[in-house]
Amino acid sequence: MGERITLNHITKIEGHASLDLQIENGKLVRCDLGSIEGSRYFQALLKGRKYTDAPEITSRICGICSSAHGVCSVMAMENALGIVPSKQTLDLRELQTIGERIRSHATHLYFLALPDFLNFESAIEMAPHYKEEMARALRLVKLGNDLIALISGRIMHQISTTIGGFTHFPTQEELDDFKQRLVDAKDDILTTASLFATLKVPDIQSDTTFFCLTRKGEYAVSYGDVQVGDTIYKQNDYDKVIKEYHNEYSNANFVVIDGKSYYVGALARINNNFESLSDEAKLFMEEVDFTLPEFNPFMNNLSQAVELIHHRESGIAILSNLKIVNEDIVKPTSLHSGHGIAANEAPRGTLWHEYKLDDEGIITYANIVAPTTQALLNMQNDIAKLVQQMIDGGESKDSMVLEVEKLIRSYDPCFSCATHFLEVKWH
Amino acid sequence: MTKPRVGFYGLTGCAGCLLSVIFNEEELLDIIGAVDIVAFPFIKGENDNECELDIAFVEGTVVSNEDEEMILKIRKRAKVVVSLGACACIGCIPSEKMFLTKEEFDRLDYKKVSRISDCPLGPRPLHKVISVNVSIPGCPPDRDEIKTCIKDLLLGKTFRNYTDPVCMECKLNENGCLLDEGEICLGPITTGGCDAICPTKGLKCYGCRGLTNDVNFDEYFTLLESKGKSAREVKQIMETFMSIEIREALKGTKWENA
Repeated sequence: MGERITLNHITKIEGHASLDLQIENGKLVRCDLGSIEGSRYFQALLKGRKYTDAPEITSRICGICSSAHGVCSVMAMENALGIVPSKQTLDLRELQTIGERIRSHATHLYFLALPDFLNFESAIEMAPHYKEEMARALRLVKLGNDLIALISGRIMHQISTTIGGFTHFPTQEELDDFKQRLVDAKDDILTTASLFATLKVPDIQSDTTFFCLTRKGEYAVSYGDVQVGDTIYKQNDYDKVIKEYHNEYSNANFVVIDGKSYYVGALARINNNFESLSDEAKLFMEEVDFTLPEFNPFMNNLSQAVELIHHRESGIAILSNLKIVNEDIVKPTSLHSGHGIAANEAPRGTLWHEYKLDDEGIITYANIVAPTTQALLNMQNDIAKLVQQMIDGGESKDSMVLEVEKLIRSYDPCFSCATHFLEVKWH
Repeated sequence: MTKPRVGFYGLTGCAGCLLSVIFNEEELLDIIGAVDIVAFPFIKGENDNECELDIAFVEGTVVSNEDEEMILKIRKRAKVVVSLGACACIGCIPSEKMFLTKEEFDRLDYKKVSRISDCPLGPRPLHKVISVNVSIPGCPPDRDEIKTCIKDLLLGKTFRNYTDPVCMECKLNENGCLLDEGEICLGPITTGGCDAICPTKGLKCYGCRGLTNDVNFDEYFTLLESKGKSAREVKQIMETFMSIEIREALKGTKWENA
């Protein structure tokens, strides 16, 4: 008889997930990681809606990355309707995305990941012992939240970010004040990164390919091509590159390239786009001996911290050149049938939105592929590898469970996002 | 004095309402200090899922059979159940699925192979499954309102919901009217308390806080029709967040099958 380990409700992650492990004669024979989130059927609900409703509806897929969904939806609709947004619009969206990334990374690093490493069951239990760290965490969360709200009108579920531009603008004074706040956040961010550089992580190498957006001379946040390992693809070819399939133990799909798993998220972006990181981020990596390529999935935590360093500076750079003007929204010249695909880098990795419209601007098809859907198989493979390593090393079941949970959290998965994109038969 | 035992739970949803609790950045540590958080699976590794609760905050819609079991159990354990956010209060976007046609629903073929089964009764807000004591509306719920609610509950006060329509606050903000600009703005039929944040920043109200009292649907539909909108278009916008409330409110009226 083998041993069965079932984690029915993995805590300290976004959404609901379960893991089923079966060990027989010292060999792991089953490792099923799945979403147990109820289905919300977003893609089906979009059908028959007017194109303007898509950002409003899809933003609700996720609370922690609602901006990524909202902005990606807006961009895909612009592509479907041939709308070219202004330079200022692109800058504002980038700032919104940076705000969300700071907020999301700070929340994940301090509230979900760090307690494991400091042997607390939660940030709540940790708070009285690590007052300074918690105060710093909340300052960074606030920094991100305030930037999202300044640009998009609210900390969650954007208001003013819309197809063709913005319905409301921050004042120049508000933007200048925010720039100063980013300048002042340097210590908090560098201290955070240094803290995560001291955490000891298990030695495990993911057999994977790194997947993210890429753009010459920029640490790509949205637009650009897709880099998969050393190969570059056009965004519009995404459905030829990535393939979705379903496993019955999961309420989320799995996604593969040539039948193999791949890695999305901060670790992938650092590996693929290292050259475009800010000087301060590169210097930090050098100081803490963070060398690339790095295939240890636990290093996603430190990669997120490096991105905090980078985006503080990239945010300052955008704000230094931004002279805000109350621009008109670019409207479609005429409604016509269209097909639009867009991708952006959500905090957890590449996010895809695709829509088809009829000639009255009504949605006839929607496909959304979230980062965690794409990460799921890689996560499962890494769990299997880690568990086998620990069985071979004679480790106890308890420490195995703890390390597996730590590994899952290092991926920063979002099972709410992942769950609603199972295959829909459109015809 | 023993601190009140509080649980924060999520049914099927986006975690946005639970995050809206955490995102009270300046008061979070005080909130944590004032109560005994016995369960908060989103951010806690150890959760007591059996003990009695003074207050249970619950986000999300009852979508799966597991959600239903969970909320029934929470109701048995808790003195006060708070519906946190639009999914828990009115069903929000997920409940629109209830009204897909059979043909539309049959396209969702994966439901047959999924191990998480949908509730046969369809997605529902909490009050359709259990009795709810307090509701904090909105998608997302307002952070200040969450704070006020927690404070009121701890002081033994009644948390009072705002009841006027969104238009009231919109007028106080001296905004132009989006209905005049030809938008299907749901301000007149939606409960306010949000400071009309969306119309103030240029987005029509999509009704995330639910129907207000004494809505005059005839007047609303007629006004929009006079602006060239079809009743179907108007109803579709109404159904975005409050599909369940709208179906109930329009039952037996001439707009029922619009």
